[in-house]
Amino acid sequence: MHMTRLVLQLAAILITARIFGLLFERYAKQPRVLGEIVAGMIIGPYALGGLALPFVNSPLFPAMPGNMPVSSELYAIATIASIVLLFRAGLETDLSMFLRYSVVGSLVALGGVIVSFIFGAGIAVLCGKAESFMDPVALLLGTISTATSVGLTARILSERRKMSSPEGVTILAGAVLDDVLGIIILAVVVGIAKLTTGGGEIAWGKVAIIAGKAFGFWLAFTVFGILMAPRITRALKLFRSNDAVAVVVFGLALFFAGLSERAGLAMIIGAYVTGLSLSQTDMAHELCDRLNGIYGMLVPVFFCVMGMMVNFVELKGAVLFGLAYSAVAILGKVIGCGLPALGLGFNMRGAFRIAAGMLPRGEVTMIIAGIGLSSGIITSELFSVAVMTLFVASIIAPPILINSFKGGSGVRSQLADKRQESLKHIELEFPRGVLQFMRLRLEQAFRNEEFFVHRIESNGEVCQIRKEDIVITLTVEDGRIILTTAAKNEQLVRLLVLEEVLELKDLLESVEKMKKPDSMGHDLLAQMFTGDSD
Amino acid sequence: MNLKKVLVKDCVCLSLKSDTKTGIIEEMIEHLFSVGKITNRQGAFDAIMAREKKMSTGLQHGIAVPHAKTDTVKGLVAAIAFRKEGVDFESLDGQPANIFVMTLSPLNRTGPHIQFLSEMSQLLNRSDLRQRLLAAQDVGQVLEILHSGQ
Repeated sequence: MHMTRLVLQLAAILITARIFGLLFERYAKQPRVLGEIVAGMIIGPYALGGLALPFVNSPLFPAMPGNMPVSSELYAIATIASIVLLFRAGLETDLSMFLRYSVVGSLVALGGVIVSFIFGAGIAVLCGKAESFMDPVALLLGTISTATSVGLTARILSERRKMSSPEGVTILAGAVLDDVLGIIILAVVVGIAKLTTGGGEIAWGKVAIIAGKAFGFWLAFTVFGILMAPRITRALKLFRSNDAVAVVVFGLALFFAGLSERAGLAMIIGAYVTGLSLSQTDMAHELCDRLNGIYGMLVPVFFCVMGMMVNFVELKGAVLFGLAYSAVAILGKVIGCGLPALGLGFNMRGAFRIAAGMLPRGEVTMIIAGIGLSSGIITSELFSVAVMTLFVASIIAPPILINSFKGGSGVRSQLADKRQESLKHIELEFPRGVLQFMRLRLEQAFRNEEFFVHRIESNGEVCQIRKEDIVITLTVEDGRIILTTAAKNEQLVRLLVLEEVLELKDLLESVEKMKKPDSMGHDLLAQMFTGDSD
Repeated sequence: MNLKKVLVKDCVCLSLKSDTKTGIIEEMIEHLFSVGKITNRQGAFDAIMAREKKMSTGLQHGIAVPHAKTDTVKGLVAAIAFRKEGVDFESLDGQPANIFVMTLSPLNRTGPHIQFLSEMSQLLNRSDLRQRLLAAQDVGQVLEILHSGQ
């Protein structure tokens, strides 16, 4: 019966999460994640899922006693999904970009993390949800308010062609550190919470030891991973099958997730660091592509299950606190990210744009809140508050961000010009029929040079082409192919495109020499009726 | 990429004698054949000339990069050669070419071909390096200039 119920639960989750995700994405112009969480809220044990189904006389999602309202089997699947999610988040991390703009990006991220942490923890104490600042509840609420999700920001910036603006680059670079810091803080908070089962507070000395241990483990693990990654990928290439490589690498992510749990940290930290270590290798994008299948299947389960944990009855009593918490979470980012940006060459407009870009919360927020709930640090009431904040920030951020980019330059110094100069755009115009053909030819030409080609959008309109430290963006737009790369790679791109254009010329000449298309068409049709079908 | 691995002693030809584009290409192929880098002279020559027919590989500042993908080699084969007097290579800037980088790569295998060409042309884009190369007295000096310039 357990197994049957689990299978039926998964069926309901996958179908409703996908439908709600698409509805949110298509009609509400909101991230799919929000739709998946809403799906969970609706079909979960606190709503429709708690009602007895006809014929079987029992609910599909009966509320389980204790902190977790879903079955442990379902929660286990959601946990594996969170490992997949964070492993891929690590893989997608652009460390090189972060390092390139590390000063501005890290100060902005650091400011945002520190201020929103203090604000988040502070409001918990002020509203009586935690006894003191060092109470694990306050620490966890602080951690929840730190994590930024730039997925939504990246989409808006890309739509408005602001991705390579100084503000855009700073936001995307800052978001890398933001995730890393959020995860380290989580490691420390989980460590503290494990020491203080049953609540209360602990001495600063012990906190320092735990923080040191968590940070030390993270740092050692990351440095070791990044140093070993080239050797590991060389060994993995011996498989000569990208599918096999992806399976083994995912196995490694699970192994390190388990290892970090054993070391007293959360599983997702091991998964994230494994991804982060491999993110600098030329296999990163290929691995991401191979993970798409399992990601698409499992990750909606995670968000849907998180939505199921929203207890409407308890949320009703915490709406006011939820609003206050959401407000400080937003304010924390505005002040924390905006002030450092102001001091780093951005004017008020630019600083506000950066702050607005750091507002959305997403995956990491949900994972941290989920861990808080499952480990008993926070109640389902506070978990529901975290979900509420996620929604408030995600709904408020896009209009603020879009409006903030109206108007003039956001920089005080010539910072923007220097950065823009370092990027070169090569534009090529082709007739409609030849455009897609040339795009495929160029992609293949890069592959022939042992580059990895990663399609950022599934229709292939934007591709990232990468080999070691060379990164090229290929965009198809208004009948043109635009290749963007750093000035140092411009010659490579020009030479490669030239060879393909010459090949195209050759192809066209050989087509001219072909038997006339008319007579070819005639032959094709005529031979359709040569056989006697009677 | 590591140019040291591709450009070795055998790959340098200090003073070419021909004063025509075809002659230069033939001489460089002959050199690669004589040091055992290629086994099929005619095949390599045909591949290079077929590419030159599409568009000359004479760039600017006296640099020419005749290259082709061909079945006649099993891996990336390259040579650098000089003719101080310069030869008409139908270059982009109309100037005679005096530094020649020949590159041959296998047709149906992946590997850096254009990347090698671009790194070489990037290196040769520096006028001081070009002058030092043209003034080099022996093969060792040429390699040292190239490797230190990378």
